Amino acid sequence: MTDWAARSIGAAWRAFDLQMAAYAALLVAIGLVMAYSNSAEQGRSILEGGTTFVRGLMWTGIALIVYIVATSFDYKWLKTFSWPLYALQLGLLVTTLAIGHGVGGSARWVSIGPFDFQFSELAKILMIIILANYLGARQGRLGSLSSIIGACLLVVPPWILVMIQPDLGTSLVLLAILGGMLFMSGASLRWLGVLVGGALASFPLIWTYILRDYQKQRIVSFLDPASDMQGAGYQLFQSQIAVGSGGWFGKGLTNGTQNQLNFLPVQESDFVAAIYLEELGFLGAMLLLVLFGALLWRILVSGWRSRDPFGMMFASGLASMILFQLVVNLGMVIGIMPITGIPLPFISHGGASLISLAVGLGILQSVNIRQTRAEW
Amino acid sequence: MSGTYFDRRHEHTRPLSRFLIFGLAVIVGLSALTARLFYLQVLNGAQFTALSDGNRTVVQAIPSSRGLIYDRSGAALVINVPTFAVKIRPADLPEERRDEVVSRLSALIGTPIPDINAAIDGNPGSRFDLVRVAQDVPKGTANLIAEAGFDLPGVEVVVEARRQYAEGPLLSQILGYTGPVTAEQIEELKKTGYLPDDLIGKTGLEAYYEKDLRGMYGEETVERDAAGRKLQVLDTVAEAQAGNSLRLTIDTKEQKLAQQALQWGMKTAGVKRGVVIVMNPQTGEVLAMVSLPTYDNNSFARGISAQDFAGLLANPDKPLLNHAVSAHYPPGSTYKLVAGTGALADKKITPWTRVQTKPYLSIGPTKFWEWNHRGWGGCDLDCGFGHSSDTYFFQLAAMLGIDRLGYWAKEYGFGAPTGIDLPGEVSGIVPTNEWKLQALGDEIFPGEVYQAGIGQGYDVVTPLQLINAYAALANGGRLYEPRLVHDVVGPDGQVIKPFEPTLIRQLDVKPSVLKEMREAARSTVLLRHTYNLVDLPIVIAGKSGTAEFGTRDSKGRLPFDSWFIGFTPKDPTKKASDPTGAKALAKGDSELVVLAFAYDSRTVGNMATEIVKYYMQLHYGIKNDYRNFDLLERGNFYQSN
Repeated sequence: MTDWAARSIGAAWRAFDLQMAAYAALLVAIGLVMAYSNSAEQGRSILEGGTTFVRGLMWTGIALIVYIVATSFDYKWLKTFSWPLYALQLGLLVTTLAIGHGVGGSARWVSIGPFDFQFSELAKILMIIILANYLGARQGRLGSLSSIIGACLLVVPPWILVMIQPDLGTSLVLLAILGGMLFMSGASLRWLGVLVGGALASFPLIWTYILRDYQKQRIVSFLDPASDMQGAGYQLFQSQIAVGSGGWFGKGLTNGTQNQLNFLPVQESDFVAAIYLEELGFLGAMLLLVLFGALLWRILVSGWRSRDPFGMMFASGLASMILFQLVVNLGMVIGIMPITGIPLPFISHGGASLISLAVGLGILQSVNIRQTRAEW
Repeated sequence: MSGTYFDRRHEHTRPLSRFLIFGLAVIVGLSALTARLFYLQVLNGAQFTALSDGNRTVVQAIPSSRGLIYDRSGAALVINVPTFAVKIRPADLPEERRDEVVSRLSALIGTPIPDINAAIDGNPGSRFDLVRVAQDVPKGTANLIAEAGFDLPGVEVVVEARRQYAEGPLLSQILGYTGPVTAEQIEELKKTGYLPDDLIGKTGLEAYYEKDLRGMYGEETVERDAAGRKLQVLDTVAEAQAGNSLRLTIDTKEQKLAQQALQWGMKTAGVKRGVVIVMNPQTGEVLAMVSLPTYDNNSFARGISAQDFAGLLANPDKPLLNHAVSAHYPPGSTYKLVAGTGALADKKITPWTRVQTKPYLSIGPTKFWEWNHRGWGGCDLDCGFGHSSDTYFFQLAAMLGIDRLGYWAKEYGFGAPTGIDLPGEVSGIVPTNEWKLQALGDEIFPGEVYQAGIGQGYDVVTPLQLINAYAALANGGRLYEPRLVHDVVGPDGQVIKPFEPTLIRQLDVKPSVLKEMREAARSTVLLRHTYNLVDLPIVIAGKSGTAEFGTRDSKGRLPFDSWFIGFTPKDPTKKASDPTGAKALAKGDSELVVLAFAYDSRTVGNMATEIVKYYMQLHYGIKNDYRNFDLLERGNFYQSN
């Protein structure tokens, strides 16, 4: 090995953000622990095929491979494939609408063999990539309205496709990504203000013409839980009971009585945090928030350090997505947000979510380690 | 973070302010979550823990086993059998799936969809209580429903005990039936441990002895999941105590004989309503009580359909009513017992006083006719009572006056419930001046006194009151409370309340007076007023009655009911040494008194007499058949007999 190569690899290794990987790994570990708790309570043997835990292990394995591949991959190729990736995103969403299935006639999951895949999770990451490319290429024109409009136009088609499914949660995440990335790109605050104002003004229209009944119901029962103690209000109430009864130290792993006794209706996905908070208490909650905070910090640092505008934009988008999902999912579980179908990153059981996070973090690492190759 | 300036190494803008603001957003978001978590978990942790536990544990009632009912000889009349009931817990039935679940369930159990919805919505308890939707479901169906758990959320199959009435319609009027507690009742009853979907005695002995039969529900703390499924019993707070059982005074054999006799009479004469009662005058025990038409209380135990129930209610002859205690009718000539006893006791007459009977008596322009329009000349007590002379008793009633007549009526127990252990007993009416002033604003007219003396006019009595009065005559002056239950027996077989005859009163007359009245009652039979009843190989005494009521038909005739009460001495065999049977009857040791009543009979003869005659034949095993079938043909009877 030449000296130069060794130095390069050494430099690359130094630029590899170990902390970011570590925090992400710890969060994934917590997710697996929750899967274990969930499986234990199902009463079946933990290592039996098909339990949440075993599936979680499998997805973790796949995600690890994806992460390594994404890290090794030169992210600059993403710029080249920008339009094909956009087509891919729209294609995945159209496929979901065409052959997808879900609760109550919705179309969210596509069955591939024995697995159900939620393509909208991938669509989120692809959106970040696409917007990062777009905004990154518009250096010098970021202050103008046309950049903002351009970004919005890029988001509109996938957004519509997601709303048709209907998947209100994912569509909100897309908006959060758009908003966060526009903000961080240095876009004119004045125009951003107009955009936000316009969005708020159109809310009544959205309420009347776009939102479905159950979505409205979720918002209503958030604002007035007593009005629907049977459906959404019941879930919110049970969730808060679970969380609150955790106390300082929690009831202990696999001891969550609320979930063990089937009180949380959708306990495998969205309300995992409730079980975590019940079983590990306030201290467990603090651990979780510290890990997320640290991860977000490292993502922002990568964005700051990136010598490539793509890198900064991508980091902004990823941070926006993770922050939004964290606040909304955890907020829902503890009663300060309405119920949405937004998963908690790393913790909610779901292969697609984990894979897309692996892709995102991998790309960011790819950006990190290539900052040192000044001459390439 | 490093670098707070436009760094030459980088070719693009890095707005630090934006990064800082974003970082701030992260901190704000995490802080908001932390604050809320602190509120929920630390500040209110204990309260939520309690709620969480409250979700889990629930205090549940342990139903007790309902007491059984046996007849006199110990044969089981009412037992509990296990059955599957289908219940719904509304709280576990999601609104958006309700229609689907209800229609699936309806197809499985055969209950119409509106009935199921009515049961769910009409539930008087909370949404977390179980509501009964169907009972007595076949085992196969029950299994299907139990297995379809996820497709039928909120639906549960529960094993329950239900009543089985061994003899069905034979004893329905006495036993009654159980049914679901009503919304009005549950308000009060839940204080004593009744659940909203409990069964409670509705009529008959099931209702009267509800407290004894029900026993006491126990309590256990149970861990359950959100679907309400019992996971494990955490603690048994109190064991369930089985209900007490009842051993009746009713003799099933006598009940069947009584029903046989009544059914024969009613069928032959085409009569729609009738009563037969058999009692032991020495104790007040009721050996048989039949009221027709009747119903099968097993259809209530299995869950009667609304349609069938409506049919029973709509029947004008009221099959759900026990006519023996809950309906009153004019007693007619049977009431002459009162005037007779009263006149003797008050020394208005002696048994040998000759009272002039006439074709009719007049008050002003109104004629009060003798039933045979002729009379029998001068009559003593045996003649007057034995021929059932109306004009004799008009005069006796006038001698006493309405208030004194009323006094003697009440002495015999008329005008008040007998106190039998059945619900729904009515009091009847004994007319007095006071009563009439209150009820009609006037005093009794002289003609009405006459009427009262012969059991017409305002007096109405229940069949049970009438037989009880004659029981007091037969036993020499003790008016007892009629009883249906002999012993109340605990779950371990120990007798809790042994039988004791309850004396209402000792009649305020000399025993000789009643002995003379018993002789008069024997005259009724001896003088062939009751035709060939005297020919039976037993000594029997009694009184018949033909009571008019209602409105005259086109020919000026009134409809009438037929009564007969008969009693026999303890040794009823005819003896050469006692040709009239007077010596046997003088002892007052009768153990058998029988009453028959036929409503709106319109027969040529008194069909009640024929019914009692038939019963006596069956009871004593008399080989020859003395029944006069032709007397039961339709036709106009004498105006009063």
